[in-house]
Amino acid sequence: MARTVLPLLSVLGALALLGGNASAHHSVAGQFDQSQRVTITGVISKVEWINPHVYIQMDVADTKGEITTWRLESLPTAMLRKAGLTSELLKGGGQKVTAAVNPARNGTPNLGWLMNLHYEDGHEYVLAGE
Amino acid sequence: MTAGKGQIAMRTSEARALGLRSALAAAALVGAGVVAAQTSGAAPRTPDGHPDLSGTWDNGAGIDFVQPRKDGESVCIFGCPGGAPPPDSVPQASVPKYRPEFAARVADLDARQVQEDPVLRCFAPGVPRIGPPDKIVQRPGEAVFLYEDVSGSFFRLVPTDGRPHPTNNEPSFLGDAVGHWEGDTLVVETKNFNDQTWLTDNGAFHTTDLRVVERLRRTDDKLEWVATAYDAKVLAQPWELAKRTAELTDLEIVESPPCIDRSLANMVDGSHHTNPR
Repeated sequence: MARTVLPLLSVLGALALLGGNASAHHSVAGQFDQSQRVTITGVISKVEWINPHVYIQMDVADTKGEITTWRLESLPTAMLRKAGLTSELLKGGGQKVTAAVNPARNGTPNLGWLMNLHYEDGHEYVLAGE
Repeated sequence: MTAGKGQIAMRTSEARALGLRSALAAAALVGAGVVAAQTSGAAPRTPDGHPDLSGTWDNGAGIDFVQPRKDGESVCIFGCPGGAPPPDSVPQASVPKYRPEFAARVADLDARQVQEDPVLRCFAPGVPRIGPPDKIVQRPGEAVFLYEDVSGSFFRLVPTDGRPHPTNNEPSFLGDAVGHWEGDTLVVETKNFNDQTWLTDNGAFHTTDLRVVERLRRTDDKLEWVATAYDAKVLAQPWELAKRTAELTDLEIVESPPCIDRSLANMVDGSHHTNPR
């Protein structure tokens, strides 16, 4: 995985479907619209290190500085841990991070399935691919 | 591990605490001197001459195609370039065959998995759905199976000293196990299950007559696990699961974080997930 390759692939695959996610505890497709991709930028304010899915809270500011907190669902803890990831690593030390997410199918605002996180310092975590 | 998770009783802090105590007990056993070799070669043996299955075993949580990749500080788990096949291409696990009179019930439960699957509500997955043990601590006359599961931390005690199954335990999610050796294979027979788990994620219910036989064999640094489920009340024939192979790992198991479902309320249809567990 080259750092320069993954972002490009992420863009090219923007409309691709992830399909059924065997890693997930339940069907991702039953909760999130995998034909839609939303990109948000903000700061990760909290990581809920719980099963069956880790939840990340990201504070996203609009142009007026108003903060909206997104809830981003991700993989089970053991899967992240075996990949070397921790809650602190996900927070990224408070740096700015851009996330690609699939929005909730039932219209719940600011709820998404986390596809990847791209941190300001250049590193990234691809969690659900395209 | 995943993926799970009867109901609510096993979701209690007491259950999780029990799992932690089990892990601590297991650590004590390790300290007693029965430790698996962590290098390649023939399987080590315990003082009684049996293969030593002790060790922490990475079974891929039943999803062997998940192979995280690292590049510097970057990590890719799914969708890595040139990596694992997409989840939909993974062969589906075999499913139990039911007596005709139960086919409609299974189909109904399958269609309503989101509403009915105990594992989706964080209950213990049961056996064999829990899969191969994540860690084994073995000494003459006993093996302890430990699990880091999405539903919680679980343990199973497997006496191998010839004692019969206990007769006074309440039926449980993981049942009562007794083991014996057939050559270099550890054969574990488990019964006294409750009927609150599924065999798979497709509505595969069972009765309290369920009996499961697991066979574990170590070759080099790999652990082969096969299991057969017997429940003549509802199954047309014994269900043999596909063999799973786990690899010895240095990554120790940890206490499972709490399992708290926050997803099911937002499910808009009964889309089935394909976790082979």
